[in-house]
Amino acid sequence: MATETDETRAVSSTPGADWLSVSLALGGVLLLYYLGPLVSLLLSVSPGTVLGRLAQPGVVDAAITSLLSASISTVLATVFGVPLAYWLARTEGALATALLAIVVLPLVVPPTVGGIVLLSVFGPGSAIGDAAIAVGIPLSGSLAGVVLAQTFVASPFVVVTAKAAFEGVDERLEHASRSLGKSRLTTAHRVTLPLAGPGILAGVTLAFARAIGEFGATTMVSYFPRTLPVEIWTSFRAVGLDSAYPVAILLLVIAGGALLVLNTVASNPWR
Amino acid sequence: MTLELSGLSTAYAGFDFGPVDLAVDDEVLAVLGPSGSGKTTLLSLIAGLTTPESGSIRLGRRELVGRPLDDRGVGMVFQEGALFPHMTARENVAYAADTDEVVEELAALLELDGVLDRRPPALSGGEGQRVALARTLAADPEVLLLDEPLSSLDAPTRRRLRTELHDLFDSLSIPVLYVTHDQRTATALGDRLAIVRDGSVEQIGPPVAVLDRPASRFVARFTGTENRFDATVVDRSEDGAWLRCGGLHVRTAVSTVPDTGTVCIHPSRVEVGANTTDDATTATGTVSRWLNEGTAYRLEIAVDTVTLTATVRPPTFERLEVAVGDELRVAIPPDAVHVIPEAE
Repeated sequence: MATETDETRAVSSTPGADWLSVSLALGGVLLLYYLGPLVSLLLSVSPGTVLGRLAQPGVVDAAITSLLSASISTVLATVFGVPLAYWLARTEGALATALLAIVVLPLVVPPTVGGIVLLSVFGPGSAIGDAAIAVGIPLSGSLAGVVLAQTFVASPFVVVTAKAAFEGVDERLEHASRSLGKSRLTTAHRVTLPLAGPGILAGVTLAFARAIGEFGATTMVSYFPRTLPVEIWTSFRAVGLDSAYPVAILLLVIAGGALLVLNTVASNPWR
Repeated sequence: MTLELSGLSTAYAGFDFGPVDLAVDDEVLAVLGPSGSGKTTLLSLIAGLTTPESGSIRLGRRELVGRPLDDRGVGMVFQEGALFPHMTARENVAYAADTDEVVEELAALLELDGVLDRRPPALSGGEGQRVALARTLAADPEVLLLDEPLSSLDAPTRRRLRTELHDLFDSLSIPVLYVTHDQRTATALGDRLAIVRDGSVEQIGPPVAVLDRPASRFVARFTGTENRFDATVVDRSEDGAWLRCGGLHVRTAVSTVPDTGTVCIHPSRVEVGANTTDDATTATGTVSRWLNEGTAYRLEIAVDTVTLTATVRPPTFERLEVAVGDELRVAIPPDAVHVIPEAE
C-alpha cells in the first residue's frame, strides 16, 4: 500500500494537485454508498432472528427453488453459451457483430419486458405454452418458467465473459496444437479450455449470481414457486421491511460467495 | 520425400498470392522477402491454416489440399514459438511426443536439460525457440516449416542458434522451408534461396547464384547489391562484353548480355587498392564517404558520374589509410559483373 502511494506521488506532475487522490476521494463516496447500507443491513438484524426466519418452511422452499432453478439456468447458459462465445471470439464481420448485439439484448431490455416477451411465447394461450401444458410441463407458473426467465436474463453473462476469455487465447496456440497432429477435440480439451477456463468460470459465476437474484422477469413468468427474491417481495408487502431482512441477508451471503469465486479461482493465473 | 506445389494461389484480405510452382526435396529452402511479400501465406497454405483457391500441394504421393491441419504431417515452428503457456517446457514437448524417450532425446539434442521444468514466460527467447523446435520435431513431421524463428532474438543468440539449426537441418533429411527477411540467416541455412515478392517467387537457386546473379532489379536491391547502374553494351567479343555505365566502363565474363540493362556488382566484389589483374576493369575514383560497419568498412567512391560502393575488410582499410577525398584505384573482375535486362 505504501509503495503504491509513493508511486502515485511520483507520477503526479503538478505539485499540490494530486489528481489521483482527488479521483479516489470522489470514488470513495460511491464506495461508501455501496458498502454503508449493506453493513447497516447486516447489523440491523441479530443472527438469531436471521436463523429463526430462515428455518420457516416458506423460506426453505424458496431457497431450494432458487438454488435449483439458478443451477439449471446456469448449466443451460453454459451449454449453449460457451460454444456461441467461442464462435463469436473466432469470427469477424458484420454477422458476428449483429449476433453479439442479440446476445447483449437481454442485458439492456428491462427484466419485466423480458417477462412479457417470454409470456407471449411460452405462456398460456401461446402455441408452445399450450403444447407444453398438454404434455404436463407448464412453462409458466412452474419451476420450468423460473428457469426460462433466469436463463433469458443471466445467460448473456456467460457468452460475453467467455467470449473475452476465448479472445485471450492466441489462435496460433490452437494452430500449433493442430499442426502437432492433435484433433479439434484434443485441442479444445488440452489447450483452449484450460487457458480460457478461469475466464469462462467468471462468466458462469456472474450468470449464477444474476440468476439467483432475478426478480422482474421471474415474477411475470412464474410468481410460484417462489424464489428468494420473490419471497423478499412477498414478505415486504405482507409484513414489512423487518420481515424481508433475513432473506435479503441470505442472498447477500450467496453474492459474497460469488464474489469470492470471482476473485480467486476465476481469475486467469497466466496473465 | 518431395514437397511439390503447383499452381498454388489464394486471395487473402485483398492480397493476391500466387500462382506458385515450387518443388522442395530433402533440403532447406530459405524463403526470403520483405514483410507483406507472402512468405507467411506460403507457409500457412502448406500447413493448412489457409485454404488455397486453386492448385495442389503434394507430399510424395499424398495431396495435402483438403486435408485437415492435424493430418498433413507438416510441422510448423511459429514466430515467437507459440508455446502453450499453461504447460512447462517438458509438457510442451511431451504434448506432441509419443513416448518419454522422444522427449529426452530431443531435450538432449536441443540442450534443454536446464529449462524443462520452466513455464514459457520464464524462458529466454532462444530457449523458447529451442523448446518450440523440439515440440515440432516431437510430432515427427515429414515437412518442417519455420516462420522467422530467430527474428526476435538478440544477435549473439541468433548467431549461435543459426549454427545449431544448420547442423540440425543436415541431420533431418526432410523438406524444410525456412521463412526469414534476414539475408544472412537465409544464405547461412538455405541449400537454396527463394526470393518472394508480391505473392510470387521472383527467383530461386543456390544462395551464391542468387546473390551473384540476381534475376531482377528487385532481387538485386533486396539482396544488397547496392551497385546498380544503367548500362549500354559498347563492344562484344567471344569472351566478354564491354559496357558503359555513365563514366564507368566494366567488362563481363560472358558475351551473351542484353544490349541495354542494369549492371549489378556486389559491393564485396569491388576490389580496392588490390594488385589489379589483366582481366579486371580498373578505374580511378575519389572516396566520398566511408562507414565502419564492424566486420567491414563500406566505402563510397565517386568514379566520374557514378558512385561505386565497395566493402573492404578492416586490415585492407587500415593498410590503405583511406580518407575522404583520397584517390583510389578500384578493380571490378569481369565475373563479378552481372547484367539484368531491365533499366534501373
